[in-house]
Amino acid sequence: MRLLRHDLHILTGAYAVDAIHDETERDRFERHLHRCKPCDSEVRGLTGTAARLGLAASRPPPPRMRGRVLAAVARTRQMPPVTDHRSLRAARPGRIPRLTWAVAAVSLAVILLLAVTVVRIQHQLDQARSRDRAVAAVLAAPDARAVTKVTSVGGTATVVFSLARHSMIFTSAGLPPLRSGRVYELWLMGPPRVRPAGLLAAGPAGRTVPVLAEGLVRGDQVGVTVEPAGGTRQPTTTPVLVMTLPS
Amino acid sequence: MDQRDMRSAGPGTGLPEGRDQDLDGLLILVARGDENAFASLYDQLAGPVYGLVRRVVRDPAQSEEVAQEVLLEVWRAASRFDASRGSAVTWVMTIAHRRAVDRVRSAVAAAEREQKTSQLLAAHDEVAEAVEASLERERVRRCLDGLTELQRESVTLAYYGGYSYREVAGLLGAALGTIKTRIRDGLIRLRDCMGVT
Repeated sequence: MRLLRHDLHILTGAYAVDAIHDETERDRFERHLHRCKPCDSEVRGLTGTAARLGLAASRPPPPRMRGRVLAAVARTRQMPPVTDHRSLRAARPGRIPRLTWAVAAVSLAVILLLAVTVVRIQHQLDQARSRDRAVAAVLAAPDARAVTKVTSVGGTATVVFSLARHSMIFTSAGLPPLRSGRVYELWLMGPPRVRPAGLLAAGPAGRTVPVLAEGLVRGDQVGVTVEPAGGTRQPTTTPVLVMTLPS
Repeated sequence: MDQRDMRSAGPGTGLPEGRDQDLDGLLILVARGDENAFASLYDQLAGPVYGLVRRVVRDPAQSEEVAQEVLLEVWRAASRFDASRGSAVTWVMTIAHRRAVDRVRSAVAAAEREQKTSQLLAAHDEVAEAVEASLERERVRRCLDGLTELQRESVTLAYYGGYSYREVAGLLGAALGTIKTRIRDGLIRLRDCMGVT
């Protein structure tokens, strides 16, 4: 085990220069990074170093490029913020690993286990599993736990979270529908600051579509507020739900 | 092109001193949809982005295409920039490098590269020349000179060549573990030499 970890740690350099091209290997290393603080900070330093190598290769771009890029910018919608920088890495085109049968099997097992205690949400989780490997990864996390709470406006909210993976999945059932122009917004509410964690979209049977939120840290609470359509950067109304996650 | 601009650059970054923080600020404005801020960011980073992409991809037309994609990605994903994890320059250059590597790894490019393996070490020389070509690149060059030959070859083939560490090991006839270690040692030595925090 020590040997394996050491071996993984050595990959910080190769990772910083994008020289781990095997997806499985890179995924394994990224998982290791989430657990290994020193590795993560070493990767940051080495990525900065690599960027300087890149700057040394600077050369004037073709002049026509400026107009093209600025024109493209003017007609391109920007992505909404996320609460965790890592999701950009995951969103890299062409590099999203496929959900393997092994992971599927593990997450199914976890789902069945959870179903015993949280029968209500099994269907939602099942949908979530097939939708997104990141969701499956949270469900499959050894420390995954589920919490359910009734909101102040009725209906129940359920969170499955993994502190090890800094992620949670939020689902709800029976929240009252909102008038048009309003939306339920999800928040990660930490002692330092409140971060938007996504909007709740109406799903079948009065449920909301499961939302995966990353960047969860110990001490965070999960909140839901009613906001203008499109969401806001900070809550503007009293939360209809504040949920404390057991640590 | 504008050699004077290049020469006024601070050590290491290739950008004037204090510019890093300015760029962080610009990127935050960009995240809020400020197109003027993006234009300023473009003027400062299009050269580094294009130069790096061109170094890895080599084909001018493809490089231009990838550089445009990268800069548009900077616009689209600006809200995902997290200053606590590194500077704006690093963030942008990291996207540029990944996109460039993705491009050379696409199936067509891979097929072409099969035939070009013999040109590989020549590519490396070209990198060394290009790095040496300019005064403000002196620091990077000097730091590269401080590496052992195997460290330098491993780092430059992986970074500028866009090769995986396995490919680098094959090209240099060294064991995988050796190359992994050399890339890391080499980067650590560069980091210490260039004073990256």
